[in-house]
Amino acid sequence: MQPATAAPPTRSGEPLAVEVTDLRRSYGDFEAVRGISFEVRPGEVFALLGVNGAGKTSALEVLEGLATPGGGTVRVFGADPVRDRAAVRARMGMLLQSSGLPGDLTVAETVRTWAGTLSAPRDVDEAIAQVGLTGRADVRVRSLSGGERRRLDLALAVLGRPEVVVLDEPTTGLDPESRRQVWRLVQDMVDGGTAVVLTTHHLEEAEELADRVAILKAGRIVLSGTQEEIAETQPAVVRFTLDAGTPEPPVPAAVQVVSAGPRHEWHTRALQPVLAELLAWAAEHGVVLRYLQATAASLEQAFLAVAEGRVGDAA
Amino acid sequence: MSAAPTTRPATPERTAMTTATRSAAPSRRARLRSAAGAEARLLVRNRTAVFNSVLMPLLLVAAVPALGIGGGEVGLGPTLLTAAVVISLVYLTYYNLVTTYVARREDLVLQRMRTGELSDGEVLTATAVPTLLVTVGQLVVVTAGVVALGEWSAPVQPLLVAFGVLAGLVLMVLLAIASTGFTRTAESAQITTLPIVLVSTALSGMFFPLSALPEWLSGIARFLPVTPVVDLLHLGFSGTTWEGDPVGDVSVWTWAVFPAGVLVAWIVVGTVLARRGFRWAPRR
Repeated sequence: MQPATAAPPTRSGEPLAVEVTDLRRSYGDFEAVRGISFEVRPGEVFALLGVNGAGKTSALEVLEGLATPGGGTVRVFGADPVRDRAAVRARMGMLLQSSGLPGDLTVAETVRTWAGTLSAPRDVDEAIAQVGLTGRADVRVRSLSGGERRRLDLALAVLGRPEVVVLDEPTTGLDPESRRQVWRLVQDMVDGGTAVVLTTHHLEEAEELADRVAILKAGRIVLSGTQEEIAETQPAVVRFTLDAGTPEPPVPAAVQVVSAGPRHEWHTRALQPVLAELLAWAAEHGVVLRYLQATAASLEQAFLAVAEGRVGDAA
Repeated sequence: MSAAPTTRPATPERTAMTTATRSAAPSRRARLRSAAGAEARLLVRNRTAVFNSVLMPLLLVAAVPALGIGGGEVGLGPTLLTAAVVISLVYLTYYNLVTTYVARREDLVLQRMRTGELSDGEVLTATAVPTLLVTVGQLVVVTAGVVALGEWSAPVQPLLVAFGVLAGLVLMVLLAIASTGFTRTAESAQITTLPIVLVSTALSGMFFPLSALPEWLSGIARFLPVTPVVDLLHLGFSGTTWEGDPVGDVSVWTWAVFPAGVLVAWIVVGTVLARRGFRWAPRR
């Protein structure tokens, strides 16, 4: 298992966009965030995953400078997002999980107003085009669909050419086409060197965008690392079904038998040799392995393992 | 399942864009103008708000002579102007701001405005600017009306009038921010604002001299937030005391010490209450 910090080895000379150290946050007696640490570099996407109530939004609110930490520190380019808010905000954009916009302004008026409050806004028409709302520029926000409104939210979040972007569930409630559009926009920003911190329910989204992932449970980071590193904490799965009367296959040493006959399920961390051994045995004995399926470990598997308490409860 | 992250060649123009100089930051005034301009546009597009903030106070002021308010030592001009100040401050500045702040909070707009480069103070100010401008506009209109009616007489002590109006305006903004703390929705503002809109205004001395009340009640009334504004306006406009009499031999300044002190004390209390009571987001 990975150690419970998401910090990669420090490479000297590269500035950290975001540095979170032992962050804690409580509401009364309830400790929502229990000492989490991570770092994000320019041009990197860091995803915080976790079921509802895991503490994702509570942690992000401190990073956004909207709440003070109960303990630990948060730095954005070395500055405190609460105390040095003005300096940090000039370099930071954020998309809250839910936020409102006045319904009686049009899309163009909303973006223009927001641009008027920023240090280095991008072109208003270009920003509207980028989220696919050009045809809706003169429509009042009240009349937009949920997906259109979310894309407008995103346009505002990145209007100030931010070097750090915090996205709290950016595509929840979006249709697949809008979701792809948002992903493209995020990818473009990352290509330009923006650091992105995002939370999401959609593992597909993390797989698509994230360079590094941390899985949060009950306010702690249980697993963290690259997607591959996290997936590797889980075994690969081999499934097959044998007809009645077929001899039982020998179980290789690297296999944990989860279910034996007639529907076999093996877990292993040595998928290829185990599979080779199984196939060789089947060929030798003329056995048919029905519904044969071999699945490498995945981020989703690790996520479910954390959610179900099979990983990290000892931590 | 996706494997290795896709390679990300940094396109030159994007790199150049994010490293663009940030020296051309807009001044605080420009930021505020942008946000306040949007707020003004919202006010104009909301017919109910336009009626409440533009027509309603003028109608109320117009009704003052018909109700036979004032009279005695105080002429019609000062009576109308005092009524205009109180009605504008209470019904417009205070009530309008409570409903606006609460509506923006419940719609999650305040929280959204905090995610940008505006400071917290700028967010609150931008939201209040249109209301404050309409308040000032109302006073100008009524003053022009009084002049047109030939009822204008120069204030006895203009500084007291100016202080009463400005300090009253500041107090109403603070009390409005404080009142949002116990106002859950824009609709419930109709009830939560009653202590100021109904009680404090009725007992302010605007409708009748407080000396007409039983002594214990007038004693309480003199400490309510709207009363010192009325006292200062009466003293400043026509040199009449809270009992409705001319100041006589004693200077207006001596009479002004008490209401000015009460007003300043309320501003201190209002600041504390505003800091404690205000929330940026709805209670979950």
